[in-house]
Amino acid sequence: MTNQSRAFFALDFGSATTAGSVLGLVGGRWRLIAHAAMPSHVDVDAMLAGLLTQVGLTDPEMLVELGGSADIPSHVATWPRLAARTTPPRRIAVLAGSRRQRRRLELAALRAGWLVVGGSADEDDPVVLSRLALSTETGAVLLGADRSPGNDEKRHLPDLAVLLAAVARCRPELTVVLAGGAAAYEAEFSAPRDAQPGYELATGPTRAVPVIGSSVAPVESTTEKAPVRTKKASKKAAAAGQAAAGDSPPAYVAKLGGGVTESAAGATAVAGANPPPVASMPLPQASVGPDFQPGSDRGVSAYVLLAPDAEAGQPAGASLQQVLEGLRAFPDDSRLAVARSIASLSYVLDRSIEVVEIGLQGGLRSRSEPVGQGHFAVVSSHACLADASFAPENPSEEAIDGVLAWSTTVLDRHRVMDRLNDLRLVPWGEADGDGAAFRLAAAKAACGRLVDATPEIAVHPMPELLVAAGGVFAAMPPSVVALALADLFRRPGVSQLASDQARLLGPLGVIDDEAERRQLMANLADDILMPLGSLILPAGVRQGRSAGSLRLKDGSSNSEIELHAGAVQVVDLPPGRAARVNLDFRDAVRLGNRGHRFSVDVAGGLGGLLVDLRDIPLRVSDRPDSRRAALDAWQRGMWPEIDE
Amino acid sequence: MSAVQPVTAMAIPPELARVAGRRVLVFSPTIHFRLGPGDRALVVPGDAVVPGMPIAERTPDAELVDVGRLERTERVRPVDPPAWEKPASDESVAALRQEDRVGSTESQLAVPAGMDVKTGYVPVVMQQDRRRQPFPGKWWVGGGERRGKPARDKQTLRLGGTLLFETHGRWRAAAGERHTIVESPIAGVVREARNCVDVTIAVTGAALTGAIAAGEPSRGYLDVPRLTDGELWANALDVGRTGAVVVAGSRISAQAISRARAMSIRGLIAGSVGQGELRDLEASSLRQKASLVPSVPFGLIALDGYGRRPIATPILALLAALAGLEVAIVTDPPLLVFDVAEVPLPEFPADWVRVRSGQHAGREGRWLESAGLYRFRGGIHLDAAVVRFVDETDTIVIPVSDLERFIF
Repeated sequence: MTNQSRAFFALDFGSATTAGSVLGLVGGRWRLIAHAAMPSHVDVDAMLAGLLTQVGLTDPEMLVELGGSADIPSHVATWPRLAARTTPPRRIAVLAGSRRQRRRLELAALRAGWLVVGGSADEDDPVVLSRLALSTETGAVLLGADRSPGNDEKRHLPDLAVLLAAVARCRPELTVVLAGGAAAYEAEFSAPRDAQPGYELATGPTRAVPVIGSSVAPVESTTEKAPVRTKKASKKAAAAGQAAAGDSPPAYVAKLGGGVTESAAGATAVAGANPPPVASMPLPQASVGPDFQPGSDRGVSAYVLLAPDAEAGQPAGASLQQVLEGLRAFPDDSRLAVARSIASLSYVLDRSIEVVEIGLQGGLRSRSEPVGQGHFAVVSSHACLADASFAPENPSEEAIDGVLAWSTTVLDRHRVMDRLNDLRLVPWGEADGDGAAFRLAAAKAACGRLVDATPEIAVHPMPELLVAAGGVFAAMPPSVVALALADLFRRPGVSQLASDQARLLGPLGVIDDEAERRQLMANLADDILMPLGSLILPAGVRQGRSAGSLRLKDGSSNSEIELHAGAVQVVDLPPGRAARVNLDFRDAVRLGNRGHRFSVDVAGGLGGLLVDLRDIPLRVSDRPDSRRAALDAWQRGMWPEIDE
Repeated sequence: MSAVQPVTAMAIPPELARVAGRRVLVFSPTIHFRLGPGDRALVVPGDAVVPGMPIAERTPDAELVDVGRLERTERVRPVDPPAWEKPASDESVAALRQEDRVGSTESQLAVPAGMDVKTGYVPVVMQQDRRRQPFPGKWWVGGGERRGKPARDKQTLRLGGTLLFETHGRWRAAAGERHTIVESPIAGVVREARNCVDVTIAVTGAALTGAIAAGEPSRGYLDVPRLTDGELWANALDVGRTGAVVVAGSRISAQAISRARAMSIRGLIAGSVGQGELRDLEASSLRQKASLVPSVPFGLIALDGYGRRPIATPILALLAALAGLEVAIVTDPPLLVFDVAEVPLPEFPADWVRVRSGQHAGREGRWLESAGLYRFRGGIHLDAAVVRFVDETDTIVIPVSDLERFIF
């Protein structure tokens, strides 16, 4: 491999699935050449070699053009790799003086993707609290209080701090986070202590570190103001940078050690574009925790991190969530990287985007929206939930209820629990037939938990682009994924549906430099997402009568259908086609605004155009039989192959 | 064919490499015993342990005790202990096993706080602790200091546990009156031992990996009865199998678990166990611990998962070859540990595969060829393989992700 590299691999190492893509410089822009997803036990090099072999069989000239030769093993070994990976689940123990405070802290920790156990001094005795923190399953402890602690928690804080300091002496590997008013007890952790001979024998050299006094400034504003300039000008600058870079790969490719030397020029040029900031709630880039290399000071036995209180930030708790995310996640965590990618894509496409990602170790919901003059800034918010796994560890009764609520087959609770547990053990097992239907129910239940846990995103209007990501959706037929999105995201509006089929959002989000990421996103915008279709979701359609009519103008052809309340109607509209739809409702409905007649632009996809005339929120019978029948009827219309 | 260390992977076709490899045996695994407040380790890192040797003392009913002020003694630097305090060697510890304690890895008999469990054996860590100043996790024995005066005609009970924290010069402890001893079910070397936290041991020998484990670590002789249609009927678990770790076939039922515990069977091994049965076992164990009635430890291992499927033929052959030997069930991680230096390996062809999930779960056969991307029920496209099951002439196309192959 030489510095003539014009291609690289993008890899997403998930807990269950490893996805690999080949991206190459074709016709002066970066394109997605090929992609594949395999169970995580499969050798990555073999997968990449298989991809390149297929590229070589399809277009040998392209392979030579990209790599300089047709030597596939050499390409696999030398092409740069852009990789993201899922952070394994970690558990945090939340301690607080009062139940009220514990709930706030737990919410922030849950949204940061931690598995959470908690206790409060007003409800639990110190033995119970110390048991939570001493457990070897616990990776960190969060002790928090209000910025000015109230009487209900103030009296407990000294004892809690002493207890936690004692626990930290027993478990020097523990990371301690002191949030809000609890930070006043930092001295308990930094005071020199007597040695513990017994534990020195037991644990070897003391892993002592100085206290990390990170004062994290609360994020107060959702919109980061930038110099007023139009997006057009910015894009011009970016284009100029790209032109200056010529055919060279972007800087991140060079950082990956692929031996690309020209990339520095590209980086300089892009930096000259001076892109505006994106996320109002900054996404953590680095983690402080067990990976932190301790110093040599003796006497302090734990990693101590100071954090804002559970109410700081916008929305409340965002600042603490940010600190806890940084503590939990790898720097190249794929879930957070997806959120970064969505923010960049939102800027590039100039539209609001919402993504829901469901994986084995949790889920992500993120929303990004361009705002301000010239849509120059992007507002983002996101939440990662370990509980939003499609096969959660030790599924709760609520999780079982969720799966049963979306299941179209008769299952008892024990059977559901066993199947969920088996799904966790073998995530790729039984991916067809009944297994696929069960996975869909499990994915919908996980998605439902994620939606319930992010009410601050649900108050926004329907996004212009709704994206499904994660391994569980990758194997599903596109029309089924489209229906799942329609089932779960029930806000009136019109939205384009897409799927991160190649799982590129994670690897692209790992790129540190916002300008480079945007530049690559602009190149790959047509390739990153697989179009599923469009969703028209009006609210206020009266049941039991004809709802009106729809007229679709698609280039030279016109078609008209009658709309039926309570149904999901599908209009065939293939990918790459755009159309204008005129809707004429019998009664006034809400579709953005309230009215009878609407004219909207829609885009095609593998699932076509979905007109969802069901209730908002979705009303289905509470009786299991009726519920299953209704779900089955809707699903069968989109997934006839399930009866094969 | 036998093995004393991991077998080097055989050369297999690249297509077969896409099938998930299941490593059946692990050598010198590391196992954990989790402790909590009030629990202490009776060993120190570097100690060699043998089956039946006490490694930890639990305080099941630990509660918060106000210890009061503790006198700070002169600080003792950790130095090499005198010869009589050095960790016992393999031989000396083995000699302390005065009786055959097979299976009794966690004695439920109440032990007075601070008393040595075995006559003549005083753990080194206990001797060292006594001369040290108080620190979180240090073992503490008291009772007279407990708040409230006891009735005149009642005996003052002694409390034992671990110190938790010091506030305003007064120490609090997690302590209780009743204590149980955790005995090592395996032989190995202690890697880490921390009061209130854990004991970690590197096992000597080999172990069979499981998917799920429940109950307590236990030990017994391996009993591989004849299975009817891959299952063992519950009424076959009779008193004749007392002290055994029984191979119970494809699934463990709640009835079988109850019966096995009643018959003092040490453990069950099966292909699968349901979450309902695991909950029953957990509740039963909690009730047993809360009572004062002594019980023998009981553990179970499911080799595959939660859905019903028979034990894989290569694993069953391995267990049959080890029948009658001492084995130990370890719960963290789920392992069946063998006491033999050399494990006899069953011989199976390299292309032997087993269906681990889906409608054919549990069936075994030979990999014939890759079928490429194949359209399965529901319009799902998956990487597939052509397989011929045992005793069948027809071939079948199975998703590669549903298959597993065995690596010893």
